Amino acid sequence: MLLKIENVTKAFGAVKAVDGVSFDIHEGEIVGLIGPNGAGKTTLTNLISGVYKADDGKIDFLETNIVGLPPFKICHLGVSRTYQIPQPFPDLTAIANVVVAVLCGKHRANLSFGDALLEASHCLETVGLFGKRNVLAKDLTLFELRTLELARALATSPKLILIDEVMAGLNPVDGLRAVRLIRRLKEEYRLTILWIEHVMKVIMEASDRVEVLSYGKKIAEGPPKTVVDDPIVIEAYLGKKYAQSRKT
Amino acid sequence: MVKIEHKRARLVFRLGDLKLEWTIEPRYWRNHFIAIALLLLLILGLSGKPDLLSLITTANIYACIAIPLGWQITGTGRMNFGPQFFVGIGGFTAALASIYWGWNPWQSLVLTILVSLLFALLLSRLTVIAKGLYFSLITLLLPLIFLEFTNIFNRVFRGETGLSGIAHIIDVGDIGRNYLLGCLMSLGLMLVFLYVVDKVLRSRWGVYAAAINDNENVANMLGLNINRYKIVTFAMTSVMIGIAGWFAAHYFGTFAGVTYLPLQFMLKVLLVVMIGGRGEIYGCVVGAYFVALLEHFLTRIGPIHYILFPFILLLLLLALPEGLYGLYRRHRYKEYYPTLKVRKREI
Repeated sequence: MLLKIENVTKAFGAVKAVDGVSFDIHEGEIVGLIGPNGAGKTTLTNLISGVYKADDGKIDFLETNIVGLPPFKICHLGVSRTYQIPQPFPDLTAIANVVVAVLCGKHRANLSFGDALLEASHCLETVGLFGKRNVLAKDLTLFELRTLELARALATSPKLILIDEVMAGLNPVDGLRAVRLIRRLKEEYRLTILWIEHVMKVIMEASDRVEVLSYGKKIAEGPPKTVVDDPIVIEAYLGKKYAQSRKT
Repeated sequence: MVKIEHKRARLVFRLGDLKLEWTIEPRYWRNHFIAIALLLLLILGLSGKPDLLSLITTANIYACIAIPLGWQITGTGRMNFGPQFFVGIGGFTAALASIYWGWNPWQSLVLTILVSLLFALLLSRLTVIAKGLYFSLITLLLPLIFLEFTNIFNRVFRGETGLSGIAHIIDVGDIGRNYLLGCLMSLGLMLVFLYVVDKVLRSRWGVYAAAINDNENVANMLGLNINRYKIVTFAMTSVMIGIAGWFAAHYFGTFAGVTYLPLQFMLKVLLVVMIGGRGEIYGCVVGAYFVALLEHFLTRIGPIHYILFPFILLLLLLALPEGLYGLYRRHRYKEYYPTLKVRKREI
């Protein structure tokens, strides 16, 4: 088992953003994490990547409890992430963005600066951004920024990548390209992916298993097709009335 | 007889069998040695004029403060408004050691480094706990508190008049030569600072600095231990600024808190950094010479220069937010340091 989340709780004042959530992720899986707005999906990602510290519960990554570890140590263990709103280093070129990840990510002995540049170019080439290596990140398009984030996540040599809404703001064609890219990366680099997404079509096609959150609690889990037919999930997304009318 | 030929973009000088080529194209002129040679020639040319030599030394001291400050601003991602605090630490350490214990400049240098390092490590925690405006405010207040401190302990620091009688950095018996050698030493110190900071910023540390400057949280998420890096950067740069204070004390022979610690001095350093451009170390040298010359001419028109300085700073902030070098870099943005290029090897 790669990641084991047990009874994780995080509250901001009186609001429980994540409330006793538990699930496991096995190696090589693509797990979808869905839920209505404000369900606690991004908070859960932040808890796993170390931005927030869980109030209660346990998060085991490769049998190491990572609750309370600083983000850089969690990254060294093999967890990487992308952001809902891309957060590149705007004044650095694309290759410099990736070089930071290569140099700082998983520790590699005697990694010279030249080797790191070569590795970064390879990562950029994998996501199809090598041609823009010398362009400043602030001059890239949204799709290019998303691929840059993937290249950066890849450059830290991760085992688990947390992908936060890759489709947000992309047109359907670019969205499809991004999804295909992620699937290809998963196969080529033997990655495990926890994928937050609002676009159900993508989750249905891409994920092996889906976890559903609503108001911070896990309300359903299972294969995508079973989950979307679950009345509780329909109620959480579309309201009680719609769920009842669908039953009758 | 020297023969000069003009071949495409080159000038070829021939003297017998000797052949010397000089590329005319301006992009090859950005050579460090040319700049160093010009500065050396300038200093040697002014060897009979102590006032102008002092002017150049002052410019070099400004550069010695601004170069590490440029690295610090980038490497910690925070704007330090009180670099003169460490100028004060360095200067007073050197002055006190020289006057009260009779130490020579090299002995006091070791003590300056140690004391600056101690204070830098004590204050380095600020780069972790204070962000943005809070960091700027705290650093702005530090030198002012230090100034008050020197006024309170007037018997030790001579707050009003300053400490005098500090051993000179170099003494060969002739005052004119002392000025010349001191000026050359200041140039040497500035070049050493420039070399060290340039090397650091071109290495992987430069990449880390740029990443922290842009977004330290993301850098942390990508596996960079930002706290350790920021503390080390703050400590190293503060020691370098302390060394600049040590040099100022030993060069001028006097050191007064009222000269180096108030806001006016900070404004000058800020102007140097602003003209050079944020985090641009070569720009700092240009800025330092510009400010020293400006100060030289403005003092002739009386005390109004205290008002003119902030006014010029304000104008520059509005007109050139990235400094004079920023104008140049806007057209050659790929050269934003650290310059990383993957070149294909030509076969």
